Amino acid sequence: MDKSVILTLVKKDIIDIKRSKSLFITLIVIPVIFCVAIPSILSAAALFADIENMLDAESLKLIHSVLGKVEQTAGLETINQQFFYTAINYFLPALFLLVPIITASVLGANSFVGEKERRTLESLLFSPISMKELFIGKITASFVPSFAVSAVSFLISGIIINSAGYLLFNEWIFPSANWIILILCLSPLVTMMTILINVIISSKVKTFQEAQNIGGVIVLPVIGMLVGQLSGVFFIGPEFLLAISIVIVVINIIMYKRITKLSDRNSLFENQIG
Amino acid sequence: MSLIYVSKLSKRYGNELILKDVNFKADEGEIIGLLGPNGAGKTTFIRLLNGVIHSDSGTITVSGFNPAAQGDEVRKISGIVTESAGLYHQMSGKENLEFFAGIYKVGAAKDQISRLLRLFDLEEHQAKLVGAYSTGMKKRLGLAKALLHNPKILFLDEPTNGLDPEGIRIVLSYLKKYNKETGTTILICSHVLHQLETVCTSFAFMDRGTIVEQGRLKELEEKYIKELEITLETPFPIEPLHNILGFECLRKSDSYITIKLRSKEDISVLLKEILKSHPVYSVVHENNSLESIYFNIREGGNG
Repeated sequence: MDKSVILTLVKKDIIDIKRSKSLFITLIVIPVIFCVAIPSILSAAALFADIENMLDAESLKLIHSVLGKVEQTAGLETINQQFFYTAINYFLPALFLLVPIITASVLGANSFVGEKERRTLESLLFSPISMKELFIGKITASFVPSFAVSAVSFLISGIIINSAGYLLFNEWIFPSANWIILILCLSPLVTMMTILINVIISSKVKTFQEAQNIGGVIVLPVIGMLVGQLSGVFFIGPEFLLAISIVIVVINIIMYKRITKLSDRNSLFENQIG
Repeated sequence: MSLIYVSKLSKRYGNELILKDVNFKADEGEIIGLLGPNGAGKTTFIRLLNGVIHSDSGTITVSGFNPAAQGDEVRKISGIVTESAGLYHQMSGKENLEFFAGIYKVGAAKDQISRLLRLFDLEEHQAKLVGAYSTGMKKRLGLAKALLHNPKILFLDEPTNGLDPEGIRIVLSYLKKYNKETGTTILICSHVLHQLETVCTSFAFMDRGTIVEQGRLKELEEKYIKELEITLETPFPIEPLHNILGFECLRKSDSYITIKLRSKEDISVLLKEILKSHPVYSVVHENNSLESIYFNIREGGNG
């Protein structure tokens, strides 16, 4: 395996992402919605709105039920503080997870099918690049921008949350244990999982649209997590996030092994080029 | 020993037999024209030679390597221009060459890229996105890409498709010159026969998934052209016998007559006879072209 070949492939894919309007817009719009707009709205609501009168009884009950499960509730005196604390630490992380999932999903689906649609995969397969170099290059080229976007989004949302949090609590409330596990552990693992799934899918299907449609299914567990949390079925605490991380590590290992088995030039060529 | 040697090669896609019992060989330094109608199996054959797909049966050796097991070794020494050229449209010409130079691990890539851009007259357009290139420019860039690593074998799949006559002339004359200077073996797939007649040193004819004939033009002529047909521009009267020295004649128009001969040697005998009394303004061979040979072969005519 030659690192310079992988680097060449990664550099090319990053140029490709920067110059493809639809890919680039996805990388900007999704983080802006989930990591700037939503935290800003939550912050503004916590700072300026009369939450007690705004929320119905059900929502207030939900906040209390979540808080009931949180041991450290000291400092949460007003309903606005409780609303903000709950929203930031227990609802926002699931939404935040959609950022690496959606960006990685788009980039991963683009990896092989994009080359195939532009009829350039043939050039790559006719070159002396090994299949391992090709797969690792493609995975890295999807992972690096997705992870970078997630990290920058986290920083920006951190600034917004901490600014509002400081005004509400007179101290930094961010990042909490949930967020630290999310950023350092779950987010990169989910990014990798999304890319691996998409690489497998996109090496099998023939159009980007098809790859995206199948790849989109990965969003469902996160939405399930959010609904589960909102309906009180389960509680997403640090232990839960760590447990999910372990499951994802196992899934990633299985999928990586599957990809190395898939790495047959002949079948990729016949599947994709025909 | 041949640089490319293929024996009894077969390839099937599902239930369809694409190649059957293909035998082929190419010596080092040759320019071989692989001719055949669309769908004859030419592209599949090139893919098998490069080891990107596997055969169902048969033997292939390319420069001593088996493409199915040592594909990367074959691909290191071969350059290819596919029909679609396989270039990145969202990158400039220069960026494309830089990328492929990295993939092919070309040493002193910067100099090689500048040399090829100059050679293919693309220096001026090197910073333009390939998506904005004309078909001719894309073909030239594709060729530059294929030559980046100074390959020992060059595979060209329909290299003149979509080019104007000037573009075709430039590409083909360049290939001939390149082959002469470097001794690179070139395999050109095409269905446009007349373009290749003066470029290739030998020809292989592919039809319905197999190579039905292979050889040098002279050998093929001898084998398939048993009766030579020429057209003369001359006021020589052929009526009423329609016969000159026993050769059958036919009036094509006022000043043109078509004559059937047994061999090339008969031409001078015939001309001597006509020139005794009438001028001759032109002599044209009607049926010794590659095209005539091709149709003879396709019709299954072995002379």
